[in-house]
Amino acid sequence: MDVIWGVSVNEVAWGGLIAIYLFLAGIAGGAFLTASLTDLFSKQQYPKVIRSGAYLAVVSIIVGLGLLVVDLGRPLSFWKLLLNVNMGSVMSIGVFIVSGFTALSVVYGYLVWSSAVAQKQIQITSANKEVAAASAGQGLQAFRKPVAGLGVLFSIGTATYTGFLLSAVTTNNFWHTPFLGIEAVPFLPILFLVSASSTGLAATLIGACNCGDLTAYKKVDMVLIMLEIVLIAILYLSVEPIFFGGSMAALFWLGVVIVGLIVPLLLSFYGITKHKNVILPVCGMVVIGGLSLRYFVVYTGQLF
Amino acid sequence: MAKKYTMIINLAKCIGCQACTVACKFQNNVPDGKFRTKTPANELKGTYPNVSLYFVKEACQMCQKAPCVSVCPTKASYYNEDGVVLVDEDKCVGCLYCMTACPYDARFLNNETGAVDKCTFCYELKVSKGEKPACVSTCVGGALIFGDLNDPLSQASQFLAKHKGEVRKPELGTHPGVYYIYEGVVK
Repeated sequence: MDVIWGVSVNEVAWGGLIAIYLFLAGIAGGAFLTASLTDLFSKQQYPKVIRSGAYLAVVSIIVGLGLLVVDLGRPLSFWKLLLNVNMGSVMSIGVFIVSGFTALSVVYGYLVWSSAVAQKQIQITSANKEVAAASAGQGLQAFRKPVAGLGVLFSIGTATYTGFLLSAVTTNNFWHTPFLGIEAVPFLPILFLVSASSTGLAATLIGACNCGDLTAYKKVDMVLIMLEIVLIAILYLSVEPIFFGGSMAALFWLGVVIVGLIVPLLLSFYGITKHKNVILPVCGMVVIGGLSLRYFVVYTGQLF
Repeated sequence: MAKKYTMIINLAKCIGCQACTVACKFQNNVPDGKFRTKTPANELKGTYPNVSLYFVKEACQMCQKAPCVSVCPTKASYYNEDGVVLVDEDKCVGCLYCMTACPYDARFLNNETGAVDKCTFCYELKVSKGEKPACVSTCVGGALIFGDLNDPLSQASQFLAKHKGEVRKPELGTHPGVYYIYEGVVK
């Protein structure tokens, strides 16, 4: 850049790794919600959905946190975030929400895994030793519901936090957009919570797609997609047009709107009757849409 | 008594020579390609032969309500006892949250330290020893004034009493501590 004459190029402080992190934290939150709510409230048995969601939550939050640490100017000093606390900083609060969520998702993932292993062992053999081992593991299973319950709160916290992180930047006209003009209610946490639930559920279903009847889940995802379409429309109308007209416009219309929302919704209407075969394309597109949304929001807020 | 340091930039006297830019780089060992301060040309106004141009020195605006300080998760960005916004290199983890929050693009990641870096008003090296910041003492046109606004007799206080100082992006409520004087330039 030319110091005197060069028009300073808007460099972004937060790039692709942060967008992927926000996306993965959303996936993790949504997947955990899917698994834990099924575990807590479903009368029907969906063991595969629970397993898929529980494992997915662990993997995505850990990969996400890894990206976050790598993106730091000083990756090896990440632990200072735990020691030097600024309660006025959303990120500082978020460190504890996400850490709590990570711990809970690891514990929950272990409990789901150990109960699945135990059941398998019982099925395979009736040898005394293995049955004994399995029943010893059963003691821990008493914690499964409380962990799932607490995890619900932390996963909602994690998903909304990714929005608050950006919306707390009051000097950023795009990130700081209020919900329907109500200054106290920021827009992004709501949008990211819905998107997290939708993408997390979709990703969980990909992992569980060759099991039984998932119609109930598909209906929930359709509702979430429709809700997100309404939210995106509200966002479009509440901010200045420049945010949707710049270099990120293609990503928004193609990635977020068409691939992420419209096509999966139409396919879902079609697939709800025939079920099963369209899960992969529908859920895959929803997930891609969620990633596009994070990229779009992270970059648009910094470029314009 | 606590100080309230300010820098006043008298745009009509700036010739865009970049002596401030260079002095700052030498004084503070600013890495290649990065700047704590620089003075780019503003948009060219008018049509030939009636054209005008002025330069606007850019650096940390030393906000009294600094967004960088409020978002910093480790309190690495802070106000010192004299109201100067500084970065504690040791506490900074390089998350760059402050860079997303700063509306003046005043901060950068120092790749040599891994911490965020910016103008310090030369606090450690100069001001705390009673000297002026490197850019101010080197300015050839006398466009830069540095001083304590809590001292009514300081050059800065007296200058601001006579001239209209404006701050950048006042609508954001950051209350900058750096003032720009537009008298004599075509805005």
